[in-house]
Amino acid sequence: MSENKYQKDCADDLVEQVRNGRMTRRQMLVRASVLGLSVTAVGSMLAACGGDDGGGGAASPTASATGMEPVLGGTLRVQIPPSITEIDPVTIYDQGGIVLISQFCEYLIDLDDKNGLVPKLAESWEPNEDASVWTFKLRQGVKFNDGSPFEAEDVAATMDRLVAPDSGSAALAALEGILSQGGTEATDASTVTFNLEKPFADFPFMVSASSYNTVMLPRTYEGDWPNNPVGTGPWLLRDYVTKQKASAVKNPDYWGKDAQGRQLPYLDQVDWVMIQDEAAANLQLQSGEIDLQPQTIFQGAQALFSDPNLRVDIYPSSGIRCVSFNMNVEPWKDNKALRQAVAYCLDRDAINTALYDGRSYLGYDTFWEPTVFPGSPDVPETRAQDYDKAKQLLADAGYPDGLEIQLTFSKYLENPQYAQLIKAQCEPAGIKVKLDQMSYDAFYAGDSDVTPWLNAPMTIVEWGSRPTPGVFAQAMLLPTSAWSSSHWKNDEFASTFDEYMSTPEEGARKELATTLSGTQQDDTPVLLAFYITQLRTQKKTVQGVRGPGSFYCDLGQAFMEKA
Amino acid sequence: MLRLIGRRLLLMIPTLILASVLIFALAEVLPGDVGRSILGPYATQEQVDALNTELGADKPLYERYWNWASGWVTGDWGESLLLKQPVFPVVMKGLGNSLLLAGFALAIIVPLSILLGVFAGLRRDSLLDRGITISSLSMTVIPEFVSGVVLLYVFAVALKWLPVTAMPPDGSPFVYRFYYLILPAIPLMFLELGYIARMARAGTVQVMEMPFIRTAVLKGLPRRRIIFGHLLRNAMVPTVTVIGSQIGWLIGGLVVIETLFVYPGIGKLMVDAALTHDIPMLEAAVLIVAIIYMVSNLFADIIVALLNPRIRKGA
Repeated sequence: MSENKYQKDCADDLVEQVRNGRMTRRQMLVRASVLGLSVTAVGSMLAACGGDDGGGGAASPTASATGMEPVLGGTLRVQIPPSITEIDPVTIYDQGGIVLISQFCEYLIDLDDKNGLVPKLAESWEPNEDASVWTFKLRQGVKFNDGSPFEAEDVAATMDRLVAPDSGSAALAALEGILSQGGTEATDASTVTFNLEKPFADFPFMVSASSYNTVMLPRTYEGDWPNNPVGTGPWLLRDYVTKQKASAVKNPDYWGKDAQGRQLPYLDQVDWVMIQDEAAANLQLQSGEIDLQPQTIFQGAQALFSDPNLRVDIYPSSGIRCVSFNMNVEPWKDNKALRQAVAYCLDRDAINTALYDGRSYLGYDTFWEPTVFPGSPDVPETRAQDYDKAKQLLADAGYPDGLEIQLTFSKYLENPQYAQLIKAQCEPAGIKVKLDQMSYDAFYAGDSDVTPWLNAPMTIVEWGSRPTPGVFAQAMLLPTSAWSSSHWKNDEFASTFDEYMSTPEEGARKELATTLSGTQQDDTPVLLAFYITQLRTQKKTVQGVRGPGSFYCDLGQAFMEKA
Repeated sequence: MLRLIGRRLLLMIPTLILASVLIFALAEVLPGDVGRSILGPYATQEQVDALNTELGADKPLYERYWNWASGWVTGDWGESLLLKQPVFPVVMKGLGNSLLLAGFALAIIVPLSILLGVFAGLRRDSLLDRGITISSLSMTVIPEFVSGVVLLYVFAVALKWLPVTAMPPDGSPFVYRFYYLILPAIPLMFLELGYIARMARAGTVQVMEMPFIRTAVLKGLPRRRIIFGHLLRNAMVPTVTVIGSQIGWLIGGLVVIETLFVYPGIGKLMVDAALTHDIPMLEAAVLIVAIIYMVSNLFADIIVALLNPRIRKGA
């Protein structure tokens, strides 16, 4: 593939930034992958950069992730939570369903362990000048496990199904306003064109493994996946018992090969056991009856860290517990000083230590956080606990004697502990926090105009990892966002964001990101005190499990060392 | 006696109707709706509304109840709204598993607790009595999620004597299932043993003070004949009633044990269905458990009547 003039300009800009020390080689490679630059172009860029900062590129999807000689055969026993609903690629939204489906069905673009984009069913992609049209070249010779060839028509049908209002698609809300029905065009059997509703520079992420429902299905797919487990992936579903277990054998006709040309997958079989309770799940891992837990929750995982037979891998993630101030209601409406006052009450280090043993990344109320999203501008201000400043801001906000606020959250994960920490840390400034804890179901129940998570005055909402700051902002910070608990309506932010999304050129994009980050932090619609790193636990003999530490993981190159 | 059984069986019909109406009404007041449960928190409101309409979840309560009830009595238990599978086989499989666990636990608990209770009652205020009473009471107050985790850690993780799950691998002989049920049955034994043993002890103490026991002793009857011929028959009446009332709980109420030991019983099925507004699944599971409750209580009453002629004749 050859690059167009626009891509060449971007490549030159990226190389320049690396040379000037404004970007690492790894960060450059991530941006290059978004722009769809070819391997040859990336190689030239690396050579142009010179030196080596130790940062490698995004791993090839078929390269051995460990550099070890893989052991062929065997059965891997994996533990996942049961899916709440029937598993269907179009409608799944929880970890149990996603981690299972993504073994059998594949994305156009894969994610590596650092959330970088890696070609999968798409070999390359490139935007037009304003990132409103994206052209994808598909891998040839790929077949679905029902024998039909994977072609551009299947991509168009898959995307049309995901944006259809009556399909129950869990991806609809995220794709709304970006891609609509008929927007995906099969130019020829191996070329797809996405005609977006508006420029969107992060679009490749929307059809990658970070957008869980965008696995490719045949154009003939009509639902009932458990009885018709079709996909292009390395496994064939053999047995599935709802909410209990599943089993798969290797797909002998799988297209994937590793860097040495060996047929993938390495393992013969994968068995999944579905366990809801974390204590029970961890005990099973410790007893040796389970080989891998793709996602481990910090709380209660201490015993796993010290178990000599287990290895807990820590992966970067952008998962958050987002504290939102609902600006439709008092006291948060038109009161920036009050929102900032709460922000200055937080001791983010202490929160990170208390909740995650200090293993997460600190956040400073902006999504453009360079430690989490490489290439982001520096955070305008690393907010530390400052009660004098908080009291001054309270007085400016019209509450010199303090006030009482209510914080609503679900009894889920570490939300209750986080709420307690916020309450304790706000108290010395004169802010009394009344805690309103409810069940997970009650918190997310009801229509959009009544549900607590979108309507309570102040909330904690748990968000899974997103690949870019733009995807987060699109979902929750714009006046049009479907999931905005803050109901923030900042025209300056919204118009700059539109410009940011239609500017793939790295230098200009970073300047716009600096403005966005400054506006978000200054106006403080949400508190982002930390970004959670993800844990994955496995036996020490398990190698080659790939993918970011989120719901998705790839077992195609997994193998078990001989004991 | 037959009249007693007939009357109790007839009473089950209005009880079941009332229970089914209550479940519908209670599911209505639970937060959320089935459309939201199926599509998740991030679906748009339009999608949720469309799905609720498609599933008929937006129809009036009485209409939905009538549709469900008329299907149920004709044997059509419907399809789970969330899992899109027929309800009947799922519920029956869960029930079968729960019956096996409850039966296994009861087979250990009942003889052991009666034995301990009677021993304690016969040696009232002795060291043995105090030992049994205090230790069984202490075990009863340990919540099953605490004893379960400790037992799992000690016997499955550290010592590796017993399996960590409650279900053997596919293809294992049926008898293996009992080996896998040993660990989950122990926390149940802890909970029930103290309760049933105390009832057996109290019954024994009470009957031992009755004039007919004194007469039997003074007549010079051997101790074994006094215990098995006169004491047990009279002392067991309250114990049997208590056991009868616990069977329903042992089958439908073991959510914690089922969750901790990853056991696919009917209790967890019921809770999941309630939380996700899966009414066909919830109704089927609750009504089955209600029937089990009523039948086990009926059996307890029949046994009590057989033990005590006064009740039999009164009936």
